[in-house]
Amino acid sequence: MTTQHHADIETNRPLDEYAEAEVQRLLTEDGRVAEQGLTVSRREHTLILCGDVESVQRRDEIVRLVREQFPGIDLQVDIGLTRANAPAEAEELS
Amino acid sequence: MIRIAAVGDVHIDKDVVGRYRPALEELPDKADVLLLAGDLTRHGTEDEARCVATEFGGLGVPVIAVLGNHDHQSDSPDAVTRVLTDAGITVLEGTGTVLDCGGARLGVAGVKGFGGGFAGRCASNFGEPEMKAFVGTTERIADSLADALHSLDCDVKVALTHYAPVPDTLVGEPLEIYPFLGCYQLGRAIDSAGTALALHGHAHHGTERGTTPGGVRVRNVAHPVIKQAYSVYHLLGDDADIESPSLVHAGR
Repeated sequence: MTTQHHADIETNRPLDEYAEAEVQRLLTEDGRVAEQGLTVSRREHTLILCGDVESVQRRDEIVRLVREQFPGIDLQVDIGLTRANAPAEAEELS
Repeated sequence: MIRIAAVGDVHIDKDVVGRYRPALEELPDKADVLLLAGDLTRHGTEDEARCVATEFGGLGVPVIAVLGNHDHQSDSPDAVTRVLTDAGITVLEGTGTVLDCGGARLGVAGVKGFGGGFAGRCASNFGEPEMKAFVGTTERIADSLADALHSLDCDVKVALTHYAPVPDTLVGEPLEIYPFLGCYQLGRAIDSAGTALALHGHAHHGTERGTTPGGVRVRNVAHPVIKQAYSVYHLLGDDADIESPSLVHAGR
């Protein structure tokens, strides 16, 4: 988890439900991201991004874009990398 | 015994190529076939499809896929399909294929699927043309899955979709987006054809296990759900000899 706190919460885009919706659409519709599997939520003045992505580069790009387009907000990033190890067991369905 | 490996929502692009390969090298020891449950790319471009072909081509077991909504983003699903097919990956859409798994015939029918929702909370084919087009798409795709499942001449049938056929495997997702994650019509198609197992992806925050109203086991194999390169399911507990399977029939 990485957390970035911004001391100055004054912003031209207040952290309301419209901003939350815009972030959700940014994550899906921006061609540099295209993530539909992330959860966006608000807790008081903090915007929380949660979920898994396939690479470190994708996580970094998400954080960069959200910070760029929503300057001044408290952003908590809880985005993990999806593990890609071989399975240790099989499920018997017979 | 038939051993089925499956994963969906791998969203491959250049930055992911090579991540799965160490686990995939073990695949022939663990499974007879690999099923890919859609969202293979990020935006459905040919370049991304080539990355998928690099990652999931030449594995030593047959690879069967359906496309997902991400694979349609660039409006060129046919090009994506062509790149994957050229790499030896069988891409299903309202079609089926049968593998010989050491004497047992495994049939796989697949469609991308579509949204619409589930019993009591589903969209209706009524009103504005946009709504009719939405639900009409759902019904057409589900009908094509039913036709493909019924056309399989095999011992064991597996349904492969991207969208979910039941709400069970969506638990964890916001209730409000269930209609965008799947539809009951896919479940009804699966139940109509004596299917043994249904695999899907799409719901990254869902859960792995579910059951159709008709008792067919459903597994959500979206990569963020299974949290490993692929899951393996064993079907048919008989003593059928396991040998390298081969594609014996494709298309419909």
